[in-house]
Amino acid sequence: MSGVPDQSRPDSLGVEVDEVTVTYNNGHVAVVDASFRLRAGTICALVGINGSGKSTLFKTIMGFLLPAKGSVRIAGESVAAAQRKNWVAYVPQAEEVDWTFPVSVWDVVMMGRYGYMNFLRLPGAEDRSRVEESLRRVQMWDYRDRQIGELSGGQKKRVFLARALAQQGRVILLDEPFTGVDVKTEGAIIELLRELRAAGHIMLVSTHNLGSVPEFCDHTVIINRTVLAAGPTSEVFTEQNLSRAFGGVLRHFRFDESTIQKHDGRAVTVLTDDERPLVFGKDGHVEYRERSGRESVVKERAQSEDDD
Amino acid sequence: MDSWLVPFHYGYMLKAMWVSALVGCVCGLLSCFVTLKGWSLMGDALSHAIVPGVALAYLAGAPFALGAFFSGLLAALGMGFVKSRTGLREDAVIGIVFTTFFAAGLLLISVFPTNVSLKTVVFGNLLGISADDVRQVAAIGGVTLAVLALKWRDLVLVCFDPNQARTLGFSVRGLNLTLLILLAATAVAAMQTVGACLVVAMLVTPGATAYLLTDRFGRMLCLAGALGTGTSFAGAYMSYFLNGSTGGCIVVLQTLLFLAALVFAPKHGMLAGRLRRREALEGRQ
Amino acid sequence: MSWSDPFQYEFMRTALLVGALVGTVCAVLSCFLVLKGWSLMGDAISHAVLPGIVIAYLAGVPLAIGAFASGLLCAVGSGFIRANSRVKEDTVLGVVFTGLFAFGLVMFTKIETDQHLNHVLFGSLLGIPRAQVVQTVTVGMGVLVVTLVRSKDLLLFCFDVTHARSIGLPTGRLNYLLLSLVALAIVSAMQAVGIILVVAMLVTPGCVGFLLADRFPKMMLWAVGSAVLSCLAGVYASYFLNGSTGACIVLVQALFFGMALVGSPKRGLLARRRMRLIATNGAGWANSPTALGN
Repeated sequence: MSGVPDQSRPDSLGVEVDEVTVTYNNGHVAVVDASFRLRAGTICALVGINGSGKSTLFKTIMGFLLPAKGSVRIAGESVAAAQRKNWVAYVPQAEEVDWTFPVSVWDVVMMGRYGYMNFLRLPGAEDRSRVEESLRRVQMWDYRDRQIGELSGGQKKRVFLARALAQQGRVILLDEPFTGVDVKTEGAIIELLRELRAAGHIMLVSTHNLGSVPEFCDHTVIINRTVLAAGPTSEVFTEQNLSRAFGGVLRHFRFDESTIQKHDGRAVTVLTDDERPLVFGKDGHVEYRERSGRESVVKERAQSEDDD
Repeated sequence: MDSWLVPFHYGYMLKAMWVSALVGCVCGLLSCFVTLKGWSLMGDALSHAIVPGVALAYLAGAPFALGAFFSGLLAALGMGFVKSRTGLREDAVIGIVFTTFFAAGLLLISVFPTNVSLKTVVFGNLLGISADDVRQVAAIGGVTLAVLALKWRDLVLVCFDPNQARTLGFSVRGLNLTLLILLAATAVAAMQTVGACLVVAMLVTPGATAYLLTDRFGRMLCLAGALGTGTSFAGAYMSYFLNGSTGGCIVVLQTLLFLAALVFAPKHGMLAGRLRRREALEGRQ
Repeated sequence: MSWSDPFQYEFMRTALLVGALVGTVCAVLSCFLVLKGWSLMGDAISHAVLPGIVIAYLAGVPLAIGAFASGLLCAVGSGFIRANSRVKEDTVLGVVFTGLFAFGLVMFTKIETDQHLNHVLFGSLLGIPRAQVVQTVTVGMGVLVVTLVRSKDLLLFCFDVTHARSIGLPTGRLNYLLLSLVALAIVSAMQAVGIILVVAMLVTPGCVGFLLADRFPKMMLWAVGSAVLSCLAGVYASYFLNGSTGACIVLVQALFFGMALVGSPKRGLLARRRMRLIATNGAGWANSPTALGN
């Protein structure tokens, strides 16, 4: 990994969120006493339902909202100071971007370099080489002259990742990075995030895609208007914690209560878009979540099993 | 004699007051739909876009309301056409179309001077309103009120949830068009009282004020209607003493009431919000 | 009357030059406004300058100062109300600018009517006095230089505020910079087309550029080119029509917009029709340059 900025040593990097409370002007308290710490070389998932304060916390870490109480410090500095040193990079959700904007892929990635440029924002040789390197790294170099609206969902996401790379941000905030992205690109993004982790970056990923969290996030922060649990994913990402965060919102699928039976064995296919999963048993049989009310189905399937 | 009763002794003042009260009422009711649908700019655009129609109607000797109405509608359809065919933002399209119409009207008036002065169109001339114009305003007001009385529930649904309205078998396009036609017609009526430039205030401010004061649509309609009527009546009355523009007085009154509601509204006002915020913070400690 | 008549007069030559400058300034800003979605802001500020002008006139200070102050008050005031209430942004703007305009109007009718103020409302490029020319040119050049120097930051501000913020750009200051530039451009343009039509100068060229280009520098070139041509043609036409100069300029701009709307290579009506035909016929032209970009 290249592009580690000299102004920060990886071991000193850290994000400290200390008892942060954020209120809006109308009196709505969005986040209360939220605290967690992240060390260098972390991919951390920020998990919670809509309205749990995920985006409020994001905005606070980016300095958009000032906490009414508490503080956010990045490598021991205030958010504003960290931003001036280009430590914080942000990869927006696809919906936040105006895709008809008259800029090319190259222009967008070059925007990541503005913090390093002079008053007129004239790019120098280093800026150009960083942009090229970042574009090549996400395999978007061949698309550099495209207008951004002419890209696919995955390509769009990679352009903004390239911008974060060109910015050489040490703390990268990703807002729902996998929505509208094909499986292949998702794999490539995860691979890239792992490389960045190895190089000592901190990634904070806001996601409702619970399935992918244990796969690539080593830390998890679960919030519901305050931090319910924070720490290594293996300790925090438990059924109990998630139930507290999602309440009745999280769909449970229990095989022992569903019409799945022992003859389905391991031939169970689970299809899910993060909402309620669709489960197929052996022979493509649709399974229902609860046996009650489905006795005839259970009986019929048990009989066909006996017949075999 | 009490000097504050003086305006009531003049026929032209009485006429001005009741005409503006009627226009204020209709505009106030419509402003609820305009604010909720996010059509504020549309009101502005329509009120400017009727100017060439007025100029043409005067040139042709036709009733001004007819010309104004058609040119307003033409502008609205033009905006819809351009917006559906390009990637341009709605506000930009509206801006282009209405300024084009207004410029056309301005050019017509400057090239073919008629007895309609530019100032009358742009700023209104309530005190010098002719009997014919009063009849037109009254007819427009009456029809608009009747349509609103019959159809307001349908229109609310279309503003709030067009898809639900569609599944119930309502014609969303038809209702949108109805609202647009009512807006254009009302803009024509209001142009007489406050002028093309201030119509948008009559079509936005009462609704916005009522929106700060209540959470129920029915109550919002009543409040906005009352606010529109009251401010228009009082503004016309005041303009006698101020010797200033009637439209200006009406709109300044409406704006002041909006600011008062902004600060003092019981639930959605700034003071209430600040109080809630402090309580929330203290409650946590 | 021959075609070269207008050029014999000093006042026409001045009008053509001032018109071209004002057109350039407004066109450059219009690109940012259109991309930021601030078309209504131009409309609002242009109306809101009225009370400032009247007060400045009464107080005997340059009209430009009063106009600038009250235009900015409108922008700041509506931003404040938006942040402190649940009313939608466009509604807030509508309330604030009409309130200010009405306030200006009440004062305007109270004081002795003066031709000068009438010019402010509807523009009078042909009768622009010498002192006004100097003021318009100074303000216009100032706005142009500042906008071009800060254009990259302003573009980023329009495109992605969050990113601008995260690299430490002062987004709050950029916000007010753009608003101030708009207010100043209105001040410089109000002599030419009047405050009611200035919004057209601040919206239409940007839209023409947007339709014809998909890179920002090209968009700006199209915008400026069409605006300058419109101003020249509008001033020229108004001489022969003996009609309102501002209205002529705006109508020529609308004509350019109509042409861009039909003929734009990518977003125009003809291009869209062709794309639809390709899509429905599924012919081998699917690889046309329009479909692929570049």
